[in-house]
Amino acid sequence: MDIELRQKIEDGFEHFAHLIYCNHWKVLFLVFILVIGLASQLSRLTMDTSTEGFLHADDPAMTAYDRFRNQFGRDGVLVVAVTAADVFDLEFLARLKQLHEELRDNVPYLDDITSLINARNTRGEASTLIVEDLLEQWPEDAHALAAVKQRAISNPLYRDLLLSGDTTTTVIVIKTDVYSSIGVETEEVMDGFDDVFEGDMEVASVEREFITDAENNELVDAVHRIAERYNGPDFQVRIGGGPEVMYMLKQTMQTNMTRFIRLALATIAVALFIMFRRISGVVLPLLVVILSLVSTLSVMAIAGIAFKLPTQILPSFLMAVGVGASVHVLAIFFSHLQQGNGKEESIVYAMRHSGLAIVMTSLTTAAGLASFAGAEVAPISDLGILASSGVLISLFFTILLLPALLSVIPLKAKRSVSAGRRHERMDRMAIGIANFATSRYKLVLALSSIILVIGILGAMQVRFSHEPYKWMPESMSVRQAGDFLDQKMGGASMVEVIVDTGKENGLYNPKIIKGLERLKHEVEQIKDGPLIIGKTLSVVDIIKETNRALNENRQAFYTVPDNHALIAQEFLLFENSGSDDLEDFVDSQFSKARFTIKMPWTDSIYLDRLSVDLEKRFHQQLGHDVEITVTGINALLGRTMTATIYSMTRSYVIAVVVITLMMILLMGDLRMGLISMIPNLIPIILTVGVMGWLDLPMDLFTILIGSIAIGLAVDDTIHFMYNFRRYYGETGDVADAVRHTLLTSGRAMLVTSIVLCIGFCIYMFSILTNLFNFGLLTGFSIAMALLADFFLAPALMTLIYKLDAAAVKE
Amino acid sequence: MRYMLLLCMTLMTTVLPLQAADLTARQIMERADDRDDGDNGVSDMVMTLIDKNGNKRARKIRNYTKDKGKDKQRIMFFMMPADVKDTGFLTYDYDEYSKDDDQWLYLPALGKSKRIASSDKSGSFMGSDFNYSDMTSKNLDAYDFRILNEKKVRGAKTWMIEAIPKTKEEIEETGYTKSVLFVRQDNYMIVRGVLWVNEGGRIKYMDSQKIELIDGIWFATKRTMTTKKNKKTQHKTELNFYNVKFNQALDQEMFSLRRLEKGL
Repeated sequence: MDIELRQKIEDGFEHFAHLIYCNHWKVLFLVFILVIGLASQLSRLTMDTSTEGFLHADDPAMTAYDRFRNQFGRDGVLVVAVTAADVFDLEFLARLKQLHEELRDNVPYLDDITSLINARNTRGEASTLIVEDLLEQWPEDAHALAAVKQRAISNPLYRDLLLSGDTTTTVIVIKTDVYSSIGVETEEVMDGFDDVFEGDMEVASVEREFITDAENNELVDAVHRIAERYNGPDFQVRIGGGPEVMYMLKQTMQTNMTRFIRLALATIAVALFIMFRRISGVVLPLLVVILSLVSTLSVMAIAGIAFKLPTQILPSFLMAVGVGASVHVLAIFFSHLQQGNGKEESIVYAMRHSGLAIVMTSLTTAAGLASFAGAEVAPISDLGILASSGVLISLFFTILLLPALLSVIPLKAKRSVSAGRRHERMDRMAIGIANFATSRYKLVLALSSIILVIGILGAMQVRFSHEPYKWMPESMSVRQAGDFLDQKMGGASMVEVIVDTGKENGLYNPKIIKGLERLKHEVEQIKDGPLIIGKTLSVVDIIKETNRALNENRQAFYTVPDNHALIAQEFLLFENSGSDDLEDFVDSQFSKARFTIKMPWTDSIYLDRLSVDLEKRFHQQLGHDVEITVTGINALLGRTMTATIYSMTRSYVIAVVVITLMMILLMGDLRMGLISMIPNLIPIILTVGVMGWLDLPMDLFTILIGSIAIGLAVDDTIHFMYNFRRYYGETGDVADAVRHTLLTSGRAMLVTSIVLCIGFCIYMFSILTNLFNFGLLTGFSIAMALLADFFLAPALMTLIYKLDAAAVKE
Repeated sequence: MRYMLLLCMTLMTTVLPLQAADLTARQIMERADDRDDGDNGVSDMVMTLIDKNGNKRARKIRNYTKDKGKDKQRIMFFMMPADVKDTGFLTYDYDEYSKDDDQWLYLPALGKSKRIASSDKSGSFMGSDFNYSDMTSKNLDAYDFRILNEKKVRGAKTWMIEAIPKTKEEIEETGYTKSVLFVRQDNYMIVRGVLWVNEGGRIKYMDSQKIELIDGIWFATKRTMTTKKNKKTQHKTELNFYNVKFNQALDQEMFSLRRLEKGL
C-alpha cells in the first residue's frame, strides 16, 4: 500500500472520528436500537447434537440416510440395559415387565419397544408352529421359567441384542419416531377419514421434518425419569445408544457454554484491568464485545442456525477475538491522553493511528475463519460463516461505538507513580527484546529454522480421528453405559447396508438370500484395528428362524431354503404370523433388504474404510445388478471424518492464500508480503508438529486450529509490520524502528495475545475431552505467534535490510 | 283437561326420546354382533397393500366361510402371486371367548400342513393393516360402550359408539386401547371404525366404502384400513371382494385339513 493511499485512509479515519465525536448521542442511540431489535430474536436459538447435524442436508451421505430412515425408521435406538445376578428370575422378570409397560405407555415419540417381554418367539413343536411372544405365557413356577430360559438362550436372535451371553444383562430396545410431531395439531381424530375415502392415498405429499433434537431430549428425559425409579442393586439400569449420546452431549454443551462465557468474561476483564488500570478500560471493551456477541447470536437465531458441538466455542471465541481491536485503540488513546492531550484530540489520534490496522487485522481474522464457510462438515461451515461475521460485527462496533462511548464519559490523564514504573519495566523489556532480535538476528533465524524442521517432522506423523462418543469423559454415565454395552452386548452403534434388487419380490431369489447369509458370516468376522463387528441382523435371520420352526425346530434346518417358492411362502407365513418385524428388514415390495451391523463405538477413521469394504463385499456376493447403499449413523460418522479432512485441506489453502494476498496488499510489496507470512506460518507448523509428537489426533476441533490461528497470528504481524514500516520511514534505522514498534504497539500485542491465549485455554475446562486439546493447542500457537513477531519478525527485517544495503553497496 | 295436558307432556318428554334413542350402546353392539352376516359364503378377495410411498402389492385370495353353530370356519387359498399360489389357511373361530382360535396353514413348497398356535389377535392379518381381532367378532362383555353421537356416513345415519376395553388383557390381545365404531341405524352394520393402537401412538381407520345387499345379506365389498401416525399415513390396505355368494352348498369336508392340503 503506498504512502499516499495510507495517508488518505488515515485522514479518512480522522474525519470519521471527528464526526462520531460530534454526534455521539445519535450514534449511541442508533447502535442500542439496533442491538435491541436484533436481541429480540435470541429466543429462537436452538441446539442440535445429532450425528446427522454434522453433515449438510444435501450431502449425498445424508440423502442416502434420509432415504433409509424414510423406509426403515431411525437406526439409532435407545437402549435400556438392566443387569442382575440372573435375568431369569421371576421377580426380576415381573419388574422388567412393569418397566417395559411403563416405558411403552409413557415415553413420547416412541415408535416401537422390544424386550424379552414381547420378543418374537417362533418355534416348531411336532406338527405345530408356535408363534408367540417369549413371555406371553407368564411362567408361574421354576419349571416353566427354566423352559423360557432355555428358549431364550437357544435363540440366536436374542444373543447380544436382548440378552447378554451370560444372561446377567437384558436390554429394552426403544425405537423412536422418525418424523417430528411439530405441526401436528391436536384436531379431531375423526377427521382422519376425509382423506381416507377420497380416492387413492395421497403419495407422501407432505414433507415431514425428521424428529428434532428437542423431541429427542423430551424422549430421553422421560426414559431417564422412569428407568431411574427402577434402578437398584438387583436391577441395575444403564441407558445408552445414539439418542442418549445426543442427549448427554447437549447437556454438557450447555454447561460448557455457560462456563466458557463466564471464564472468557473474567479473563478479559482481568487482562484489561492489568493493562489499563481504569474502570473505563475494562467496561468499554467488554461492552463492545458483549454487544457484538449478542448481535452475532441474534443473526444466528434469525438465520435458523442451531448450536452444534463445534459451534459451542463461538460465544467465548468471539469475545476473546473481538476485544483485540478495542485494546489497540484504547492503548493509543490512553497513552495520548496521558501525554496531556485533550479527549477529542486523543480519540481522533487513536483512530487515525489504529483505524487501518484494526480494519486489516479484523479482515485477516475474518478471512481465516471464512475459509471454513465452504466446509462439507455443516457445523464447521456454520462456524466459518458466523465467526467471520462476528469478527466483522465486532469491528463495526469497535470503530463506531468505542469512540462514541469515549466521547460521552469523562476521562482524564492519571498521575500515578506505579504506572510509570510499570511502564518503565515493560519498556525496558521491549527494548531488550528489540536489541536482542536485531543484533543476534542470525541466532534467532538459526533457532527458528531448527524449530521449524522439528515441527515439520512432527507434522508428518499426525493422525486423524473423529470419535464424538469418546469426547465424553469416562466419568459420565452415558460413557459408562456405552462402554458396558460395547463389552457386554457387542455395541449399540449401527452401520446399515441396503440391498436394492430393483425388482418387486427380488428378495425371493435364493441367490440373494443365500448371498446375504454368507455375508452375515463374512461381515461378523471383519476386524480392522480397533474396529470389530458385534452382530448382524437381516431378513436372513427371519427366514432361518421360520424354516427351522416349520421343520420341527430341528437345528439342521436353521438355514435358508434353496427353493424360490418356499422362500416366498415362508415370507408369507411370517407376515401372517402376526409379527410386524418384517417391515424392519425389507420394504413392502420385497425389493430391498436391510442388513444391520451392530458394533461398538469406534474411531470414524475406520468407519469410512468399512463402508468402502462393505460395498465391495456385498457386490462380490450378490453380483453387480443389485444396488448397494451403506448408511446408518456410523456411515455418517465415517463420512464426517473424510469430509473434515477434505474441508480442512481446502480451508487451510484458502486461508493461507487469502491472507498472503492481504499482506501483500497491506505491505504494498510482494516480497515483504511473502516474508511477513513466515512468522505466521511457523507457529502453525509448530503446533501441528506438537500434535504429531504428542500423538494428539487431528479431530473435528483440532483441525480448526490452523485456519483460526493463522487469522489471529497475522494480527500481531500486521501491527508489527505496519508500525515498523512507519518508523523505518521516519528513522531509516532497522533497530530503531523495531524498538519504536515494540514500545508503542508491543504492549497491545502482548495484551491481546495474552487475552487470546487464555481465552483459548478456557476450553481446557471443558467437560468434553477433545476441547481440552483444542484450547491448549490454539493457546500454544497464539503464544508462538507472539514470540515469532517479537523475535523472528525483527530478525527477518534486520536480515532483509542488511541484504538490501549490501546489494546497494555493490 | 289440565291432567290430559300434563299426561301429554309427560309422554312427550319420556316416551318420544326413548324411541329416538331407545337402545343403549350395549344393545346396539349386541345387534351388530347378532346381525346376519351370511353363511356358506364364497368370495374372491383382492388384497392391495399400499405403503407410505404409494407402492402397491396385490394378492388374490379365494375365501370360503361356513357357520358351525355359533363358531365360524374359514378356508382361504392364495391364487396370486404365483410364488405363493395354493398356500392355504384354515381357521376355526370359536364363539366361546376363552377358547383360542385354531389355525392351520399349508405351504405347497414345503408339502405339509402345520397347525399354528397363537393366542394373540393383535398381529397383522396376512401382512395387512387389518389384524385378526378386526376379522373376528368381539367379546362384548370385555368392553364398556357409550354412545358419543349420531353421524351420517355416506348418507346413512349411524351411531358413534365408543368402546373401551375393561381389562389390560383385552388391550394386549386386540392391540387397541380404545375404539370408536360407526354403526348404521338401519342395518346395524359397523361401517367405520377408529382404532387406537396400544403401541407407538398409531391410529387406524377402518372404512367400509362399498356396501352391497347380496343374497339378502349386507356385505362390504370394499373395505380399507389405514394406519396413521401424527396424521401421516404409514400404510394402507384395501380389500375388494368379487363373486360374493352366500348360501352355497359347502360341506364340512371343505373345511378340513385334507382339503387344505389339496389346494383349490
